Amino acid sequence: MYSTELLIQTLISGVMIGVLYALMALGITFIYSIVRMINWAMGEFYMLGSYIQYVVVAYALGRNYWWLAIIVSTAGTFLIGYLLEPILIKPMHARAMERRDDYATVVTIALLLMLRSLAVAIGGPYQYRPETNLPIMWVGPLPMEGARVMASVFALVALALFWLVISKTWIGLALRAAAQNRVAAQTSGVDVFRLDAVAFAIGVALAGLAGALLAPLFLVYPTNGAVTTVKGFEIIVIGGLGSIPGALIGGVLLGVVESLGAAFISSPYQNAYGFVLVLLILLIRPYGLFGERGREA
Amino acid sequence: MTGILVTNGLTKRYGGLTANDAVAMTLAAGEVRGLIGPNGAGKTTFVNVITGIERPDSGEVALDGKAITGLGPHRIAARGLVRSFQVARVFGNLTVRENLMVPYFASEQTSGTATGVARMVELLRLSTLEPLADAPAKSLSGGQRMLLQACAGFMIPGVKVHVLDEPFAGINPVVKDTLIELILQENRSGATFLIVSHEMDIIRRICPRVTVMIAGKVAAEGPLEEIARREDVVTAYLGRSLQ
Repeated sequence: MYSTELLIQTLISGVMIGVLYALMALGITFIYSIVRMINWAMGEFYMLGSYIQYVVVAYALGRNYWWLAIIVSTAGTFLIGYLLEPILIKPMHARAMERRDDYATVVTIALLLMLRSLAVAIGGPYQYRPETNLPIMWVGPLPMEGARVMASVFALVALALFWLVISKTWIGLALRAAAQNRVAAQTSGVDVFRLDAVAFAIGVALAGLAGALLAPLFLVYPTNGAVTTVKGFEIIVIGGLGSIPGALIGGVLLGVVESLGAAFISSPYQNAYGFVLVLLILLIRPYGLFGERGREA
Repeated sequence: MTGILVTNGLTKRYGGLTANDAVAMTLAAGEVRGLIGPNGAGKTTFVNVITGIERPDSGEVALDGKAITGLGPHRIAARGLVRSFQVARVFGNLTVRENLMVPYFASEQTSGTATGVARMVELLRLSTLEPLADAPAKSLSGGQRMLLQACAGFMIPGVKVHVLDEPFAGINPVVKDTLIELILQENRSGATFLIVSHEMDIIRRICPRVTVMIAGKVAAEGPLEEIARREDVVTAYLGRSLQ
């Protein structure tokens, strides 16, 4: 039953799906480190990205321009996030509020329900599949679905872009400063409320991108973001909340563990292997691989 | 009366406690003013209220003739009223260099990156932080953090008033002298200072005039030597008169 070829194939497909999980986790952790809240509606932004992808491919650009649709979907989710943040999230910081976490939880869960219902109301409870023109591709000796390969490639490009923005630009410097000390950033003259909107938009755009990329494989329907969101939170536990390297390495680790379990133990339990990993991490390092103890500003 | 920083009837209450009670203070452009008072007199509250960290319950603050009452901290900083904190708030995971560039880029500077970098290099030299320029700020000592925090404020072009809250607390004498030199140099190039401190020796050296706060009110104002002879001030500090 064991073969080197199978092992390599499993590892490659694990890493490939892992970078997509990492997008979700990065979005969650990034919003948390700047805006100081958990966005429970991440899966619904994933869902929005996948719906935009479907609508743009099916009604506007066509299957040959699936890649342009990916960019449109990501930009679209960014814009929706950028417009929603000042209305829904900003009141949490603008007024001295006693239970900020509760506020953020209630507001984002309400948003989750609203977006899901909206998807049902507009698109119905049906499944859609945006087409691509991608053929079967060969990764080394292995044949793979083109959409799967390109999803990983796009995810890697997005991660590289994200890194460039964070480490090389002024807005990235301001974001890093605000993540460490909101008050000091404000007294330095940084408009942290505008940064909140930017950070929220970037975070949900990462989810939207994941949704658009995975739409041809995992399909488009109102609750399609749920599973990926759970993976995102599993990764946060593995990597540590607020840690960017944790999100990336945790994502790849989760992808690989799931693939190995599916290939060498039993595939119906694929989603369970990740939880075994989460339990192990909680036993060994409860604050995650890269997390810091008692992080609170 | 006109001044670069004027407060009028500034009042801040916490429940039943009136931390600032109708504080009226006027800073003339170009002066270095000391703000002293016993612990709990409301000095830090006053700093928080004028820099937008907290909103006053009543009263006004004006900077260079324009009202800044109730504006957010980043807007007040952009108008040219910049503060430091008693416990230095630096960005621990950013390098010393990056810490200095954050306030420069955040300001509405028009002179471009090169000017900012030149200013940064100058401040690194003056503050003796040059060898640590690429170290993360969390590796700095308490005193070095204080220096870095002050320099970060000096990076903002066109600041009118610097408010320093206990800048000399718990730092070694060498760093103290470096910081004093920096303050005096910035003052010579036109910035006004309001310095909250318990270090009477330094206040005596660099502040021609001081304001004394006692129990949330301005109790006295004038040269330190004069004020130190006033019985109510001495009583407030020592709990009883010296006689």
